Amino acid sequence: MSAPPLLHLQQLDASYGPIQVLFSVQLEVQPGEIVALIGPNGAGKSTVIKSIIGLVRVLRGQIRLAGREITGMATHHAPLHGIGYVPQGRILFARMTVRENLEMGAFLQQDPRERRRLVEEVLDQFPQLAARAQVLAGHLSGGEQQMLAIGRSLMMRPKLLMLDEPSLGLSPKYVDQIFAQLLVLRDQGHTLLMVEQNAARALEIADRGYVLELGRNRFADRASALLENEAVRRLYLGGV
Amino acid sequence: MLWESSVLLQLALSGLLAGALYALLACGLNLVFGVMGVINLAHGELMIAGAFLSWLAYRYIDLHPLVVLPLVMGLLYGFGVLLQRWLIERLTGRDELTSLLVTYGLSILLMNLGLLLFSADFRSVPVLQGGFYLSSLDLVISKPRAVAGAISLALTLGIFGFLRYHRMGKAIRAVSEQPEVAMICGIDVAKVRQMTFGIAAAMAGAAGVLLSILYSFSPETGGEFLLKCFAVLVIGGMGNFLGALLGGLLLGLVEAFVGGFFNVQWAEAVAYLLLVLVLLLRPGGLLGQRHAVF
Ligand SMILES: Nc1ncnc2c1ncn2[C@@H]1O[C@H](COP(=O)(O)OP(=O)(O)OP(=O)(O)O)[C@@H](O)[C@H]1O
Ligand SMILES: [Mg+2]
Repeated sequence: MSAPPLLHLQQLDASYGPIQVLFSVQLEVQPGEIVALIGPNGAGKSTVIKSIIGLVRVLRGQIRLAGREITGMATHHAPLHGIGYVPQGRILFARMTVRENLEMGAFLQQDPRERRRLVEEVLDQFPQLAARAQVLAGHLSGGEQQMLAIGRSLMMRPKLLMLDEPSLGLSPKYVDQIFAQLLVLRDQGHTLLMVEQNAARALEIADRGYVLELGRNRFADRASALLENEAVRRLYLGGV
Repeated sequence: MLWESSVLLQLALSGLLAGALYALLACGLNLVFGVMGVINLAHGELMIAGAFLSWLAYRYIDLHPLVVLPLVMGLLYGFGVLLQRWLIERLTGRDELTSLLVTYGLSILLMNLGLLLFSADFRSVPVLQGGFYLSSLDLVISKPRAVAGAISLALTLGIFGFLRYHRMGKAIRAVSEQPEVAMICGIDVAKVRQMTFGIAAAMAGAAGVLLSILYSFSPETGGEFLLKCFAVLVIGGMGNFLGALLGGLLLGLVEAFVGGFFNVQWAEAVAYLLLVLVLLLRPGGLLGQRHAVF
């Protein structure tokens, strides 16, 4: 028997109120992988991530983390389970400083000295943020905000990091930077589940990919295979 | 004679001290608004609860209000937590009208409970008679005023520091900005909201104890103070903690000068004049809403 996947969604149905959005979604993430979740607008990509983290109600199905069921967990337990989350739209605490945003990422660390150490660690990893540690997050540029949102999600050293559209709305320079950063994270041993509009780019750095459409699995394969798949290219990569 | 510097100084000092009490009360109201988006119309009654607890302790067990102060704050903190858990939490995410109606109902309920228990008679807690003579400035400040003002200011600044520097205070700010993101950071948002309402209620209770040594009060006094608090909030900027602090001090100051130069009736109305003036000139409040809120 091999070890269970780090994350395993089985037959997941989820809804916003009466409106069902996910239908029997399957997804697996192995430790150390980058998995890309792609699909058109409104396909339910964000909803998949939100149902994992307990922000959306799961109707049926199971979510397992390293074999342990976490379906419908309280969202504020996510860091305890080792799940980090970078929400779509790089939502920050805009009226708090960069440093305070990072501190909030380590809220569960009660020891102030240990918390400060974690902040320094993440600031070391993002020198651009270190230079602006006392600036209000709302005053950062888009790229810096995304760095901060990623940095905040890393504070508790998550086993699984979920990123929702990390490159959305960023200038090309920052898009490059973010993707480079994601590879660094993978090399450091993090496991990433990433939702991306920029599907080609995401599949280039990913190990495997899932295509979601209208709340259902459409394709699932190794990223390189998806990149070469005719249908996927035509429908989702804007290619021929 | 009115323009003598010692008179001006006297007015300024006693105005600021009176304003500190407004600030203490208004900052709690503002905190709840900033975090929960709820305007708590029962905030004045929470203050009066503190005042009556002070009166009861003084009258029946001969306890000094300053001794009772921390106890009242603890009691009201607990009451605030329960109120949030059982009542206010259900209002988050609802429209403002619902939360106004519910807290209005709570206000009426508490006020009538007060009338039932204590009647509409005015009470006071006559401790701390006389004044402090400041020889260097050659002026006298009434003792109750000095003590109440200093404690109000210390408490308000203390809460401000807590919000600014303490881990839980920062969590309160985080929840006020982005509750969902606060959750994914591991913050139990419901708990933080309870703590927030508890703190606001404790501030109101403290304001009540201090009120009891300054003025006479009845169960119906809460409403008047709440109205002034609204003026303070609008003057300082809704949701802006420092704004409410400065707005409170400003109101106290202006009331003192208007009372000193004209008469006390005018002083009572000046809050609303100030309110209209600010709305005309700086509709976002003196400090606005966009700057550091806490
Ligand atoms: N809070 C909500 N309440 C009701 N319906 C919602 C809510 N959020 C999303 N939906 C609906 O659920 C469906 C899936 O939305 P979701 O945000 O998961 O899509 P997505 O794949 O992330 O799209 P995008 O690329 O635009 O981010 C859409 O039809 C959307 O309209
Ligand atoms: Mg989305």
